[in-house]
Amino acid sequence: MQQSTLIKIVSALEAVVLRSFGPEGGQVLFTRDTGQAMLSRSGTCILSALHLEHPLARSVQIPLSVWKHSRGTGDGSKTFILLLASLLRGISKATSRGPSASNANGFTEAAKAAAAPYFANKLLKLASSDLDDLIAVNVVPYGFCVSLEDFTTHSGRLLLASFFHTRVSHVHCSYLSELTCELLNRWKYKSDLPYISFQFLSDNFPALHTPVSGFPVSSSRLIEGQVIHRDFATPCLPITPESSIVHFSAWTERSLESVIAELQSFGVSLLLSAVKQSDAAVALATQAHMSLVECVSEEELTLFVQLSGVTPVSRGCTIQLEHVAALSLCRPILLGTDFFVSKVNPCSLVICGPGEEQTDQYICAIRDAVCMLMTIWEPKHTSETTASCGTLQSEKGTASLDMTPTANKPYGLKKCVFEPGCVIPAGGTFEFLLSRALPNPSSDTNGLPSVSQLLANALLSVPRQIYSHSPKLFLQAQTRIMSLVQNPSNPFSFGLKESTPGPMVDLGLESVTCKYQLILAVVQCATSVLRVDTVLHTRTALHTQSKKHTIFSRASTEDEAED
Amino acid sequence: MSRVEKKAPSVCTDLPLNNAEVCAKLHLMKELLKSCYGPRGRLKHVRNNIGGRVTTSSASSVILPALYSSQPLLNLIKSSVLNHISRFSDCGLFAGVFCLSLLEQARRHELRESLAIKVNKHCLSLCTSYLQRDDCACRVKIDFSSSQNLMTLAGSIVSSKPACLLTEAEKLHISTMAVRAFLQTIPCSSPGPVTLGQTVTVTVRGLPVLDSAMFPGLLVEMHDDFNQTDSSSEPLRTVLFSTSLAGDLAELGDGTIEADPDLDTDLQILDQLLELGKQLVEDEVRLCVCQKVIHPVLQQYLRSHGVVVMERLGMALMEPLGMLSGTQPVATLHARIPSTAYGRVKNLSTKQFGNKTMLHLQPDGEAAVCTAVLCHRNETMLDELKVAWRKTEDVLRLTLKEPSALLGGGCTETHLSAYVKHKGQQEASETAAGLRCSPAEFLLGVKVFCRSLDMVARSLEHDGGSSAMDLNHAHHWTVSADAAGEDMAGGLGLCGCGLVENSSTEWTFLNTEYAEFCPAPLLGDSCRKPTVLDSFTAKVNALQVAVETANLALDVRYVIKDEN
Repeated sequence: MQQSTLIKIVSALEAVVLRSFGPEGGQVLFTRDTGQAMLSRSGTCILSALHLEHPLARSVQIPLSVWKHSRGTGDGSKTFILLLASLLRGISKATSRGPSASNANGFTEAAKAAAAPYFANKLLKLASSDLDDLIAVNVVPYGFCVSLEDFTTHSGRLLLASFFHTRVSHVHCSYLSELTCELLNRWKYKSDLPYISFQFLSDNFPALHTPVSGFPVSSSRLIEGQVIHRDFATPCLPITPESSIVHFSAWTERSLESVIAELQSFGVSLLLSAVKQSDAAVALATQAHMSLVECVSEEELTLFVQLSGVTPVSRGCTIQLEHVAALSLCRPILLGTDFFVSKVNPCSLVICGPGEEQTDQYICAIRDAVCMLMTIWEPKHTSETTASCGTLQSEKGTASLDMTPTANKPYGLKKCVFEPGCVIPAGGTFEFLLSRALPNPSSDTNGLPSVSQLLANALLSVPRQIYSHSPKLFLQAQTRIMSLVQNPSNPFSFGLKESTPGPMVDLGLESVTCKYQLILAVVQCATSVLRVDTVLHTRTALHTQSKKHTIFSRASTEDEAED
Repeated sequence: MSRVEKKAPSVCTDLPLNNAEVCAKLHLMKELLKSCYGPRGRLKHVRNNIGGRVTTSSASSVILPALYSSQPLLNLIKSSVLNHISRFSDCGLFAGVFCLSLLEQARRHELRESLAIKVNKHCLSLCTSYLQRDDCACRVKIDFSSSQNLMTLAGSIVSSKPACLLTEAEKLHISTMAVRAFLQTIPCSSPGPVTLGQTVTVTVRGLPVLDSAMFPGLLVEMHDDFNQTDSSSEPLRTVLFSTSLAGDLAELGDGTIEADPDLDTDLQILDQLLELGKQLVEDEVRLCVCQKVIHPVLQQYLRSHGVVVMERLGMALMEPLGMLSGTQPVATLHARIPSTAYGRVKNLSTKQFGNKTMLHLQPDGEAAVCTAVLCHRNETMLDELKVAWRKTEDVLRLTLKEPSALLGGGCTETHLSAYVKHKGQQEASETAAGLRCSPAEFLLGVKVFCRSLDMVARSLEHDGGSSAMDLNHAHHWTVSADAAGEDMAGGLGLCGCGLVENSSTEWTFLNTEYAEFCPAPLLGDSCRKPTVLDSFTAKVNALQVAVETANLALDVRYVIKDEN
């Protein structure tokens, strides 16, 4: 496998992603083969929408999406490609430069091919053994923990706002982050553990939002109660408070009349049904002064059952009181039916956008924001690491000076070593700090540049892209952070306290955990693509019959030439 | 999978707004929409590639769905405007022209995209907050105690559809009808939440427009003869079936019936139907209406007992009929029909319109259902008239939400433009600091926004004339091509909306530079009434949608098109 091909592929991906990267980034507009349009600034969406032919490109695309979905971080896929591209470029440069300056041609092809996996293995070793220590010692002290009590406070909002900054148009960031904060606050009481309430929100998100196209974004709002996205099959009758509700999964009973009579005896005035009811059932319900909503989706029913605590009826003959829930109000709204379940006080999100594409984009962004928060506040898997963020800061005040990561062994080999909720100012702070912290021997024994040097250079390419519109700002940011590191007496002058918003805070906040996992994923991906030496093209039975049509025709011609 | 096709690579466009081809397409679309705008807009023939029917229209709701572009950016703008139309019916062309002008002007003035987005957003919030203010000089309160403004609003919408080819008298007739129908569908005295009634439209081809009429109650086209047997003035007891009475077992689905071979199921069902008929006769039902088909035997039975039978009513008329007569649709054949399911119709009569004979069902008492019969000379014009009618209906209903209207004839646009320019100049330095740009850049952005608003006002003129604005109230005036060179103070007459008379002395052409000024509100001398009004709700939303869509298009940096 030629490294130049690899670099070419990754650079092509990078070129697409760059357009939507950073604070000055814009959107990417797709038209799918179905003619459906999609707008996105999400790296995963952009990459998965591309039809990549080369097997290597797919091998970058696939781990990325798998990583995204299994982690559910909802963040970082653009940085993933950027880091990967610059890391691979760095490795390629290092191998082509060669150990001795006298050899102008650098490595021979064979040596080159051997050098790349060597780097890859060393990188993986570095990332899996030392990286978390390095971050804990050199980066975490400059961050702080956002508590979950304060989603109304500055830092919680900032975290969300900076996430939306990477995902939607700038002018709507603040509006959407306010809306999401509000939503999170409304659902917070559900449980004391924030992680669980995020989990609940993320699981039930399909039932909790309503997309409405044709209105400006500023019409998006929260609505009290649960919205069922179906219209009444019977005319909506005014429902007095404390009226009852039954909901059905199926009506199997033939004698509808007796069912309706039984329902009436419970004082039921609203029926929710998962399936479509017959005309006769609708007419009978109308005559009995019951409102009926048909074809309620599975997700909405599940949420309703959770919220109200009723048991769905599956057979018409056994209606009990446990199937009946009390609602405080029910009314038709804009596009659906709105319920107020009296036991709890839920709220639903109505998201508006001028076109469907935009509405979808906002929905994705909010859903991913909840995912991201979930990752940040994921409980630690080991109970050993009990040091809170506050003590970390005081302990490592000196440790950050001498830069001896070996002193912090307890942090090694754990899945999640950082305090839940640990964040750091955005705008390259993490990358600056970590690249500085990486051990920096000029070259190792073979005369090759060290892997930590390669990683540090790759990391710096991220802030370089953030400030790509003005290189001056890049230097300014770097100097500012470096001067803070050199002056550890006041490590908090980033403006982490709300009273003194520093120069960096307007760039927002990002999660340390997400960043750490991102780097791990990048290194793993780079290692796996560098270890590949040949691509074998197999033919399925279908292809042997018609050899003219191969799916990867372009890729195969390239490789045949190589052979 | 019988065939594996090679997937074509996606077509990518980097920075689409810097691409000359894309810009040319955007320009073309702008020119197309512009040429349709306003009461003197040009018409478009829409015809598909296999020689289908030709539609003549200037309405965005007809033209936009017919446009197809291979450029995703255009489709994005199109779908935003169409979504707006689906919610508000009105101001689709306004949204389209304004959005495309914003894009074009931003490019012409070489404004950075990210800056243009911020300034557009800022200007939009200036406009919306101004329009909501009490002292907004381009907003007119709608007073429901007089029909004056409602008539003007309806008239403006009917005249904005030149493809209807209506004379002044016909326009007046149609807009009067629309206002009457609107008022008819508001229930007079019902406590609690109000449910608005419905207007059913029936179209008749070949009759003059002035024969169009509005009737309380429902007009239902008749499939067979109707013999009015008795003419007693008593209301008729009515039953409404939503299920088929033809004796079929449609609801069985995929199930099977096991029956004794000797049993004749058809006869059994017919017996059941006749049983039902007997109950109807016993309950003194005089009108039996069915959404679907009624078995001929049952029909015959009912007719022989003096019941008027109507079948195949169709889904669309079920709800209005239920509203009119107060019946509850019956869907069961086996159960006894409860007395509450019956309703009443006051009177039945036949009406003749051209070749159509219709049965007129009059409500017993107050019912918010009425029927509009729209007539026009040929089908194309009739279609357009129907579009105009529906739009008028929707716009009039929107006034219930927000009882305001905006001055029409381009005056709102010029007024807003002057206001934004003035406000922008005043607050240039502090706003620029807030948006993190220089005051000069900010003012350039404001200029782009104002120019685009002016462009919409200028689009109203299609006959080679030019557009002007007075420097006092900032209303819009049209200068005809032959009068342009002469002294403008002489013969400009009234402004676009008809509120300001030729009193101001200072003018400026809309595409020229002028010093900013604060548009003065019209003081107490407003004995004049505006002659052209636009829907407030629709226009405010269109303004927002246009700016948001333009911002979105400015934010698109990369286009990927799947060619499969």
